[in-house]
Amino acid sequence: MSELLQISSIWQDAIFRLKSNRLAVFGGVFIILLIILATLTPWIAPYDYAQQDRVLGPTPPSFQHLLGTDYLGRDLLTRLLYGSRISLLVGFIATTVALIIGVTWGTVAGYLGGSIDTWMMRIVDTLYGIPFIILIILLMVVFGRSLVLMFMAIGAVEWLTMARIVRAQVNSLKQREFVLAAKAMGVKETTIMTRHLIPNTLGPVIVYATLTVPQVMLLEAFLSFLGLGVQAPMSSWGLLIRDGAVSMEESWWLLVFPAVIFSTTLFSLNFLGDGLRDALDPRMGPN
Amino acid sequence: MKLRNLFYLSVVLFFASCGDSESIVDSALKDQILLLGNGTEPQDLDPHTVTGVPEHKILLSLMEGLVTRHPEGKGSVPGVAERWVISEDGKEYTFYLNKKAKWSNGDSVTANDFVYSWKRILMPSMAALYADMLYVVKNAEAYNRGEIGDFTQVGVKAIDDFTLKVSLNNSTPYFLALLSHYSTWPVHKPTIEKFGEIDTRGTKWTRPENFVGNGPYLLAEWKLNDVIIVKKNPLYWNAGIVTIKEIRFYASDNDTTEDLRYRAGQLHLLNTVKITKIQSYKTKYPDQIHIDPYFGTYYYRINTKREHLKDKRFRQALSYAINRKEIVETITRGEQAPAFSFSPPDPANFYPSTKLEFNPSKSEELFKEMGYGVSKELPKLEILYNTSEGHQKLAEAVQSMWKEYLGLEVELVNVDWKTYLDREKNADFLISRAGWIGDYPDPNSFLDMMVTGRGNNKTSWSNLEYDNLIKKAASATSTNLRNSYFDKAEHILMDELPLIPIYTYTRVYLLHPSVKGYYPNILDTHPYQFLRLENTN
Repeated sequence: MSELLQISSIWQDAIFRLKSNRLAVFGGVFIILLIILATLTPWIAPYDYAQQDRVLGPTPPSFQHLLGTDYLGRDLLTRLLYGSRISLLVGFIATTVALIIGVTWGTVAGYLGGSIDTWMMRIVDTLYGIPFIILIILLMVVFGRSLVLMFMAIGAVEWLTMARIVRAQVNSLKQREFVLAAKAMGVKETTIMTRHLIPNTLGPVIVYATLTVPQVMLLEAFLSFLGLGVQAPMSSWGLLIRDGAVSMEESWWLLVFPAVIFSTTLFSLNFLGDGLRDALDPRMGPN
Repeated sequence: MKLRNLFYLSVVLFFASCGDSESIVDSALKDQILLLGNGTEPQDLDPHTVTGVPEHKILLSLMEGLVTRHPEGKGSVPGVAERWVISEDGKEYTFYLNKKAKWSNGDSVTANDFVYSWKRILMPSMAALYADMLYVVKNAEAYNRGEIGDFTQVGVKAIDDFTLKVSLNNSTPYFLALLSHYSTWPVHKPTIEKFGEIDTRGTKWTRPENFVGNGPYLLAEWKLNDVIIVKKNPLYWNAGIVTIKEIRFYASDNDTTEDLRYRAGQLHLLNTVKITKIQSYKTKYPDQIHIDPYFGTYYYRINTKREHLKDKRFRQALSYAINRKEIVETITRGEQAPAFSFSPPDPANFYPSTKLEFNPSKSEELFKEMGYGVSKELPKLEILYNTSEGHQKLAEAVQSMWKEYLGLEVELVNVDWKTYLDREKNADFLISRAGWIGDYPDPNSFLDMMVTGRGNNKTSWSNLEYDNLIKKAASATSTNLRNSYFDKAEHILMDELPLIPIYTYTRVYLLHPSVKGYYPNILDTHPYQFLRLENTN
């Protein structure tokens, strides 16, 4: 009797569905592994990322240098590990920035409605119209090249879609009974937003966030590729790929390994995002 | 290894699919068209305003000065002047112009054209960067500085239409060589004045439809950021020896593009070989890769007005901590020699006796003496360079050496070419990468640049003793005396180090075997009338 009555919660369903999606599980495990490696890099990296062995020069993978060395004799594995720190940091910080701005903006616009909503969304539309690569390059030129600024700049242009998604959610949520009840009881508007609306938009927000991370990482790679990203001797994946592309004929390993790691990470994040989207869709049954 | 072969296979397939069985250089041989990679897009084609190497290469086909360079670099051969007489004291030159020398519209090239052209480049309102090339001419410097307003006082006179007399301040051994530099070349007065005043910069006279020149080729087409096409000039006085009918100068900012073009058989000359490729090309294309001596120095320029850097001991410490030998062996890899002076050593001409040691313990001592690490904190430095793989690799190596031996934190700042030039001009840098290629085969081409107030000095460095030595060298009567002044000047420069020489350039390029008559010479000047395209079989 009691067994029959046990009803699984939405979240339990979601986790169950996610677990049965192999690609998503693979993605999740890969990302977690990567985060662990990136965190432990200073202790596990075989060499220092700036340590040059100029006499050695570029060498293919060997036992001393598992993934080979670059033109200045720097260990590629070490540089990949340090690069993962930058790329993941950019991914997560910029996404967080986008998340904060986007969710706040969308919730306020969606909940308040009326002319405030119209104005706020027209601003979003206008920003959509600006070619954002140019905007980022401009920001970096004006404020100089600092890592934190780059994170912020990327985040600051990535929040637009997030704002629209959240606004649409809030728009439908605010008609629901529990919100009306809260209003009738005289709960403050800010409390309604933070306590009742935002938690209910979390599903789509999480999904979109996982999809933003690879987008942002690509953007960082692109900026580094243009020479606007991190500065030497620090490395990021984008930078490693750029250097590798330049010398791919002499030293294939310099392009192949960073490119493989980078694309695997992007795939993993996308699989995870897709899996989460399916898993959090309440219309899907437990099976 | 397998992966690499697979890659080569795909490259080969790619190129095979791009072209027919006959490559472009093969058909160019039949049509006698020379295809040259030429680096960056030229600023302009006005010989009195441009300053770069790509511009020089194009102008060399379109115009000619009084004399031209011997194809093997053995001095000067007749250009517009068919012969010349030098006075006993070496201060008076009389040029007898070739009456067959014509402008491309049919006008004769006259002595007055040269007077007009030299006036043009020396006019203060023209603000030509290369005006100082003519400072050896009597009163030219005073006229250029606006101290005298009357050009007839300057030492260049047209005796008649075909006789030009030039008076110099001192006997100047390199004067003839200077005349094959484009800043001394003539321009066509009616054309200049049709599109502006004598001193208007950047007018439309350099467009293909307007251009009037006197060189072996005519400007036929100019596609921005793509190609400049020149065609044989039938009116050129020496047109008889010109066998190549057309030259195409391809512009590209990207070394990789040019590299691919060359290997796909679309170019006869690969102007820039990427440093990562030199090794492999030596084995793959031993008959096409050339590493020639080149009259140039790669160096780091220091802004001597800035805190820390204004102390010469600090600059010396920086220099002691650079392992030049390792740099040329492991980074540049093009058989360059470590530099120990600003003017490149040329055993035949001038061999400076200066030394630049690699000695980290000396730099440590100097740092201690200045109080770094004791009472003063180490500053953070910046190396400015224009975006290029080679500059970046070298900068990273120097960054790592300074970090290792001196504990200095160095930031690398890479910017595009125009920003780089702007920042250098406005002294908005701490240390910047630089290179200087001699304009004529004489140490003066280097050492004069560091005289107080010269446009290309850019370090804010000024030393009266040095200025005097250069002045004395200019009026020295014997080569030995002259070289001893230059040597003393080098010693001052290498002690003060407003610039830190790193290596002496070599010219590394790939040349298709069908191009004949392209002889190595230290100025890398190859007048096109002497080149030929011939079947290699």
